[in-house]
Amino acid sequence: MNDLLLDISEVSKSFVRGGLLSRQKIAAVNQVSFQLAARRPEILAIIGESGSGKTTLARMILNLETPTSGKLVLDGIDLAGISGSAGRMAFMRKVQPIFQNPFESFNPLKRLDRYLFMTRRRFSGAAGEPAAEAVVDDALHKVGLSLREVRDRYPHELSGGQLQRVAIARAMLAQPKLIVADEPVSMIDASLRISIVNLFRRLRDDLGISIVYVTHDLATAYYISDRIMIMQKGRVVESGDARAVLKAPQHPYTRQLRDAVLLPEVADAAPDPSLSINELISPGAPERRP
Amino acid sequence: MHANTEQPLPRQEQPILRVRDLHAQYRTSPFGVGRGVKAVDGVSFAVRRGEVYGLAGESSSGKTTLIKSIAGAIRPPLEIVGGSVEFAFLPGYGGLQRAPRADVARIRWRNLSYIMQGSMSVLNPVRRVGSAFVDFAYPHIGGSRKQFERQVIAHLERVRLDASVLAAFPHELSGGMRQRATLALATICRPDFIIADEPTTALDVVVQKEVLGMMRGIQRETGSSVLFVTHDMGVHAHVTDRLAIMYAGRLVEEAATARIFRKPLHPYTRHLISSLPRIGDDAPREGLGGSPPNLADPPSGCRFHPRCPLATEICRREVPAMLEADDGHRVACFAVDQGGRA
Repeated sequence: MNDLLLDISEVSKSFVRGGLLSRQKIAAVNQVSFQLAARRPEILAIIGESGSGKTTLARMILNLETPTSGKLVLDGIDLAGISGSAGRMAFMRKVQPIFQNPFESFNPLKRLDRYLFMTRRRFSGAAGEPAAEAVVDDALHKVGLSLREVRDRYPHELSGGQLQRVAIARAMLAQPKLIVADEPVSMIDASLRISIVNLFRRLRDDLGISIVYVTHDLATAYYISDRIMIMQKGRVVESGDARAVLKAPQHPYTRQLRDAVLLPEVADAAPDPSLSINELISPGAPERRP
Repeated sequence: MHANTEQPLPRQEQPILRVRDLHAQYRTSPFGVGRGVKAVDGVSFAVRRGEVYGLAGESSSGKTTLIKSIAGAIRPPLEIVGGSVEFAFLPGYGGLQRAPRADVARIRWRNLSYIMQGSMSVLNPVRRVGSAFVDFAYPHIGGSRKQFERQVIAHLERVRLDASVLAAFPHELSGGMRQRATLALATICRPDFIIADEPTTALDVVVQKEVLGMMRGIQRETGSSVLFVTHDMGVHAHVTDRLAIMYAGRLVEEAATARIFRKPLHPYTRHLISSLPRIGDDAPREGLGGSPPNLADPPSGCRFHPRCPLATEICRREVPAMLEADDGHRVACFAVDQGGRA
């Protein structure tokens, strides 16, 4: 048993842009280190604007991107040493992704239940058909859906919120220790967003899954995360307890970000329109309520 | 036909845009079976002069269709099946799509302009930014080219861009600069009406606040009316004067923005506002059950009833009318009618 679920030490990733004459090196992620403890599941929010390197960092945790330097260790597996399909499978059993656009994460020509059953078969052994169905149905129930709604459906038949919940159910089926969610709610409608965010909290509390939550939305990060990491131009500029950081930010960039959040509140002395819109809205004079 | 029955209002109080009972639908016929998706179903509202009118709604609530209908961008399969859209500067046609082309060309950019979400789709990627100003605004402003250029540069200063952007190609500018350039482009003719469709959604928070501030500043200065469409309630609280909430093709509530945030009446609006997470507030938020309605097969009666905690028998059968509940506060809900408001 490892003490650390995820140990990232001084990881950097740089991309080279341009051709022979104008070579330009861009440090997308620059010397980032952090750890997640194995015993205590937590939600870590990685916050940054576009170009801050947050998605590159998430992709490195998922082993979709190889770091230029530094080391990532997930539950005892060094990501640099993963080779062969067996090694990859063992890695994928521990960490699962959820992407931003649910319409892009599923093949439009493939039925949704096939993803669920395939994940189930790969990661929890080939159980019999009825048992597999029960497990898939159970996972879908946890996200507020049921197998009845998803069976034989294609991605275009479900709404974005439903699809994202299927994506979360699929990730849960692998029984991972860590879920990396890259902007999972930014494409989701406002009325469903909070349900998805609440679902992450349940994954942490009920199933003991740690979540790396990559976002630019400070309000939802404040709402669900335990710890927060603010990135700017590839570097971590501030990190710590989510509430402490957002209530009293130390770094000027964090302060700037927090002050730019448009609060869904209105200032007090808002002018009330003196003009009655009764006359403006036709046809016919609307009835007035008693 | 309604004009005769109404008392004439002073010019300042006459709305710049009046939408009456607008119905728009997408008509498709897969395998010969006709099917209509009623994306806008009986929407009425008016926008006053010098006002920023917000329109909030989720994806597939019909906000984009509503803007298309207002802007006259009607292409099959979209069609307007009823109602009218009237601008004060283009009276008498009942909608831009019915007006003669010459009239539409005359008012475009001069009276009516647009700020779109993707600034790349407004600016031609293979031409310099300056040529967009010449194409769009020069015919309306006229004068000598030198004079026009001076005016453009002076206007660009308002959005804190310097003259060098005119010589740049769109891809050479950052997203924020591009969106500021489109903002300058949309406002240079001092139009009466601006349609802003998610103008800052693609921008980062810091840049977004800056662009919104500039937009509000220019709007105050020119006195333009703005129809501001976004799903982001934080943006609405920050910029709009009045706010309408759209759900499944219909308006469900409309009031002064401050009022909507302080005292929302419709159950959907109430949920929308109470579910927004706020920094510094640790109270748990509840999600809304059910899923957004399918407009090809909308629920009967009030379209919110399958997800509504206050739904009763009448909500399933009848469509609630948009009635005034309080001064300037309209809401379409039977529960509010029966005093069920919080």
